[in-house]
This record gives sequence, C-alpha cells and structure tokens, in this order.
Amino acid sequence: MNNVIIDSNTHKNIKVCTGHGKKFGENIHFVPVIADELRSLMLEFPCCLLKNNHTGQFGLHALLGFEPGENLFLTDHGWKSQYIPLHIRRQPFMVGRIGEATDTPSAENTVLTIDMDSLRVKQAADDENAQALFDDKKQPTSYLTSMSKMVFELSQGIQRTEHFIQVLADNDLIEAIQLNVTLNKISAEGESHSEDAKVETETKNFDGLYVINEKKLASLSGDLLAQFHQNGYLQACHLMMASMGQIQKLIQLRNSQA
Amino acid sequence: MSKTINNNSLDNQPIDTQLHTNPTKPIENIVIVGGGTAGWITAGTLAAKLKKQHDKNFSVTLIESANVAPIGVGEGTWPTMRRTLKNMGIRETDFIRQCHVSFKQGAKFCQWVTGKKDDFYYHPLMLPESAGQDDVSAYWQAIQFPYMAHSSHSNNAADQQSFSMLLSPQQAICEAGLAPKLITTAEYDAIANYAYHLDAGCFSEFLKQHCINQLNVNHVVDDVIGISNDDSGDISCLTTKQHSDIYGDLFIDCSGFKSLLLGEHYQVPFKSCQDILFVDSAIAVQVPYEDENSPIASHTISTAQTAGWIWDIGLSSRRGVGHVYASKYISEQAATEQLKQYLSPTVADVEQLTFRKIDINPGHREKFWHKNCVAVGLSAGFLEPLEASALLLVEISANMIAQQLPANRACMDIVAERFNQTFLYRWDRIIDFLKLHYMLTQRNDSPFWVDNRDPKTIPQSLQTLLELWRYQLPSDNDFTHATEVFPAASYQYVLYGMGFKTQAPHWGISTQAKDAATAVFDKVAQDTAQLQHNLVSNRALINLIKQYGLQRV
Repeated sequence: MNNVIIDSNTHKNIKVCTGHGKKFGENIHFVPVIADELRSLMLEFPCCLLKNNHTGQFGLHALLGFEPGENLFLTDHGWKSQYIPLHIRRQPFMVGRIGEATDTPSAENTVLTIDMDSLRVKQAADDENAQALFDDKKQPTSYLTSMSKMVFELSQGIQRTEHFIQVLADNDLIEAIQLNVTLNKISAEGESHSEDAKVETETKNFDGLYVINEKKLASLSGDLLAQFHQNGYLQACHLMMASMGQIQKLIQLRNSQA
Repeated sequence: MSKTINNNSLDNQPIDTQLHTNPTKPIENIVIVGGGTAGWITAGTLAAKLKKQHDKNFSVTLIESANVAPIGVGEGTWPTMRRTLKNMGIRETDFIRQCHVSFKQGAKFCQWVTGKKDDFYYHPLMLPESAGQDDVSAYWQAIQFPYMAHSSHSNNAADQQSFSMLLSPQQAICEAGLAPKLITTAEYDAIANYAYHLDAGCFSEFLKQHCINQLNVNHVVDDVIGISNDDSGDISCLTTKQHSDIYGDLFIDCSGFKSLLLGEHYQVPFKSCQDILFVDSAIAVQVPYEDENSPIASHTISTAQTAGWIWDIGLSSRRGVGHVYASKYISEQAATEQLKQYLSPTVADVEQLTFRKIDINPGHREKFWHKNCVAVGLSAGFLEPLEASALLLVEISANMIAQQLPANRACMDIVAERFNQTFLYRWDRIIDFLKLHYMLTQRNDSPFWVDNRDPKTIPQSLQTLLELWRYQLPSDNDFTHATEVFPAASYQYVLYGMGFKTQAPHWGISTQAKDAATAVFDKVAQDTAQLQHNLVSNRALINLIKQYGLQRV
C-alpha cells in the first residue's frame, strides 16, 4: 500500500478503473463491513465478528467464502450479489487522518488519499471504464466527489462500528461458535460429474467466528436495553443474528461450483 | 423397632451443656485474619461462591494488620490459578497487566541428576500425549527413556529422545521461549497448558481491590490484640486495637508463619518434615532485566547447587531469584556466594542487589481445622517452592471450604474432620513428590545429595511406589484419592526425566502397541512443529496483552 493525499496538481492525469474482479484482489473470503451496511448485507451475506490475528480485536465482517482466495459472490463479470460492501466499492480511496487517531473523524482532521500501488490506478489511461479524478479545470469530477463522500461516510461508520463492538464486548454479548458444514469436494479436473457419479462430500469445522449471544441479548433490561434501542445497537444485533442464516446460501453457492 | 424415625436427636440431648455453642447456630459471618495472598484468595473464593449462589445471611470480613508485611512467597502458580481467578470474576487481562504476570509452562530442572553443565530435564504442564492408554504404556516402558534431555536436537529414532520431548510439545515451546497461546485466544483458554509467574505483592493488592469493590468483602485494617473463646472452646470474637470486637462463626487463619489462631491460640502442634526435606533457609533477590524487552523465560528454572537449589522466575517486570538450602550443609555466606555466581553472567553488578534472608521451617500443623477455626496458607505449613505448591494449597483449601461450607455449627465438625484427612493426605503426597526430585540424583559432590538418597530419609509410601515402578509405569491406579495433587503423569516426567529405569515387560511388545506408540510420537512431533510456527514469544504476547487486551470469548 502506498497511500498519498490527493491533490489536483499531482493527480490531474490519474484515472481509476471501476470494474470488479480477481485482478483487483477481490477474491477474498471475508470483508470488513460497517454496522450501517447490515440492513443491506443481511439479505445476502452472513455477517459476524472475526478477531484480528495481530491484535485479537473484534471486527465486523461479511463472509464471502470458506477458504482463503474463495469469494463465492465474485464471477468473471462482477459480483453476483445485489449489494457490494463499501470496503470493496471504496477502492482505491481511503481516508487519511491528521492528528490524534482517537479523535472523531471530521472534515478538519481527515483527508482523502489514494493507494498509488493499486492496480486500479492508471496514468492517463484511455480505458473506457476508467474515471478521471479531475476535469480540465482541475476541478474534482463528479466521480471523485461521490467517492470522497462514500469514503468519509465509511470512515465515520468504521468508528461507530468499533464503538458498537466495544459495547458488545463490555456487556459480554459476544459468543464463539463453531461452524460445521458439509461441502461437496471440488473435483481435481474441474469437470462436471456425470449424472450417476456420486458427489463426494466433506465436513469442515470453522473456528474463530463470533456472533451475538442471543440469550444474553434477550436478558438485557432497563436502562441498558433503552440505550441499546436508542443507539440502534439492538437493531444491529438482530440484523447480525438474522444474517447468519445466509450461511446456507453460502454453502449452496459453494456446492453449485464444486 | 419403631417405624417412626426419630428426627429430633438434637432436641433429645441433655440440656446440662447449655453453655456450649448452640449446635444449630447457622454459620453466617466468616472472619479471615491476614491480608496476604492466602487471605485474599480465600476471601475472594468464598465471597464469589456465596454471592453467586445465595442472597442473604452471610458476610466475609478480612482483618489485616497495617504493620505486618506479607512474606510474598510463591511467585509461581499452577494451572489451577486460571480457574480460581475466573471463578472470582477477575478479567485475565487486568490480572496480567497489574500483577506483572508472565506465562509459565512448566519447570526446567538443571543439574539435578549429574550436576554437569548440560544436565537438565523438564516437568511440563501439559500431560504426556495419550497418557494412560494401555497399548501405548507398554511400549513406553520398553523404550527405557535414557537420560538425554540435552540430545533433543536428534530427530533420530524414539530411543534417542527424552520422555518429555517424545510425549509433549511443551519442552520445545519452552526452550524456544514461546507463549502458550495467541492474542486471539480467549481469556483463560490455552493452546498449551499454562500457569503464571506473578508479583506476589501486586497480586495481594489486586485481589484486595477486587474483593472489596466487586465481592463486598469487609476490610478491616487493624491489629488483633485478643482472642476470646466461648465456653465450648470455639473462638467467639477477635479484639482489635482500634475497632470493636469482631464476632464470627467461622475464623480462617491466614496470618502467615505466625499462625495466630491455629498455632498460637489453639497450640495445634507443628509437624516438621526436615528429616525428609532438608532445606530450611532461603536467600531471595529481585533482579532487573537488561531492558524492557528482554526475553521472559516460559518456565521456572530450578538449578541444583551443592546443598540446595536456585529458583529463577521471570516476571514481565523483573526476575525473582533465590537460593533455598539446608543450613546443616552450607553456611549463609557460602550460599549467598553461590547465588551471586549464578547471577553474575546475567547481572552487571551483583553487589548492587539486595539479598533477603528467609528462615523456613518445612512441615505443617498436625491438623488444619480445629473447632471453628481453619488455617490456610503459611499458617497451615510450608514446603520449599520446588513445585510451586504454596499457592496451590491455598487455592484447594479455599475451594474445599467454599464448596463444603458447613451450614451450622453441628455439621462443622464433620466437615473439619474430612478437611483434615484430605489435607494431611495432600501434604504427605506433596512431601513424597518433592523428595522424589532429591532421591533420584546421581550427584555425589556433597553430603547433602548423598544423605538425600539415604533410605532412612525416604518415606515408606514413596519407597513402596518406587519398588513398584521398577516393573510398571506410574499410573493413576497408584493413587487412591479422587482428586490427587500430582497425577501419575507428574511422577513420570520426574522419574524418566531423571533417568529412572522401569524394566521392559518380559511379555514383549505387540505390533499393535508399537504402532500405537509410534502414532503418538508422530503426533507430538507434528504438534511441536505447528506450535513452534504459530506461537509468538512470551514477551511478545505479554506486550500485545498490555496494548490490546485479551477478549473474554
């Protein structure tokens, strides 16, 4: 990653490819999401908490596949889901922070940056799908304006989501689950099975998934419950809980490929 | 015989002993004397259990003198401490941050067998893989486990390796200085079984805050200046200097070596075991690390000397080191000199360090629960810290009191009798197990080691087991209690670590048994490689926990 602050002089000729695919590194089996997205995500993706391997801290994620490199929603022609998570759509832009990392992000302490190492970034490419950042008068294009808005919303959403997760952890509302799923074995040749051929299956266990502890959530009462309701945390919990049913869809997607 | 069962036996007792404590008097107020680790662990264990399961008619009060400094022994724990703390509702993250904790995965015994430089063996905390499986046992027995811990780099056939290397990945983890878990592992969960090294002074203070703020333990800072009995001989109240008399139904003596209630007040005799375990003195010293990111050993290091041994415990903040020795065999001056020599390779100027002498009297009270008073911790007894049994005994004593807390005075004597039997048995087993470390030595460099092998100094119970183990492996069948302090696995680690020979069975070894054993060895080797790859260093994990904390799940 090589994130630099965007300015109209340095980046006047830069264009950004907006397509999707493996080539942009979208073949990942989970993606970080924000709580604000749960309403859309829960219709298609299982959403749960995963721990960061380096810090042990929880992060909210949508599951896309069962093993590294496997994004069951990604096809050669783009995503087959109705909704594409913000973290994917924001590429290659990101918010950069000026000053203390603990401050609430605002227009004053944040800047828009671009990852110059991203394969999406082209120097004056005439690619049809590539979008310019600035027009001839060095004014931001509508593309850049809309990306900027998205990225700043995402940045605030990330902080709200971290706070939401902290409250979940403080109130002991997170529990570990072990996922046991039966998957069809992917045939080595990649050819379709003849009709009478038996599909071989294997049972896989997945650790490291964390979900809302429904019993403890149901036993919340009084002021805490009221706070959860007012902050939208209660709704977010229920959206997360409902989303886990999409595991079945993920299994189907996987088995239809095998 | 009458068909009516008479349930009123208590009412039928003659009334002429009316001065005695009312036998149906409920146990409500528990008073603990002493605010060291023993006092606060006991207070926390009792208060947490009562608070969790009950809702009225109980109180836990701890009286602590402002003038008595805690001894602060026992900087090493057992894995049981994880459950003890969890049961009190303590966050492991808070404990690790505030008590300068590091992870302990076992003990490394250096120079206990031959006394040579490369002489060491491990007593890891993980049980040997598949311990107790019959088909595997037969093959282990045939292997003979040569004493060659230092040849651990050989990846040759099984007969090239030590018992602990063949059957547990933990020795390799310790030698590499790795942590027993990851930052993503939940609090108190383990990948490799672990205990703690902790700063005893910080630990008392930490437990105190938790007990007072979270568990409603009453805290009285005052000196006990009088003890009053009722007519039955029970303690009725303690008189303090500044506070009024403090009444209670059960008194727990955690007053340390002073043994204020059980020893001084009740004069329950002390049973010395110095005829078995010769060590009676200690010189302790706190040693700074070179810098704040110096590696932390993943295990307690115990290095034998000419008339005792040196403990070396790595906390996150400093090392705690000390020489325990038998004063009959070495002078204080010579013992201090040996300690300085031990330290000199890792300490710039040993003369700058402060050495503290502690007299120890190995042994225990003839009983621990007398009338309405029970002793926990040093007031009950003390043994050299060779297997970190001090805090363990506190934990299991507090647990038994909490789990079997008598509802009234009448049933207290039954519980007391059971407690005394259980703990006399446990002290004897610990004494046996400690003696095992001494009696298998091959050292002849001082009368201390020679005398330790003299059968007159070895308990009969231990001699009997050793006779049996010449022909069969230690098994849990050799120990009769449901909850033993040391499992047979611990005996196996020490016996075979020290080169003890159990004869190969004259019935030979079946192919099945050989295959089963080989599969076990392969699994351990695989686990070892995987753990070495995944785990970070003890220091690195402690730093991550300080920065981010562990999650509860």
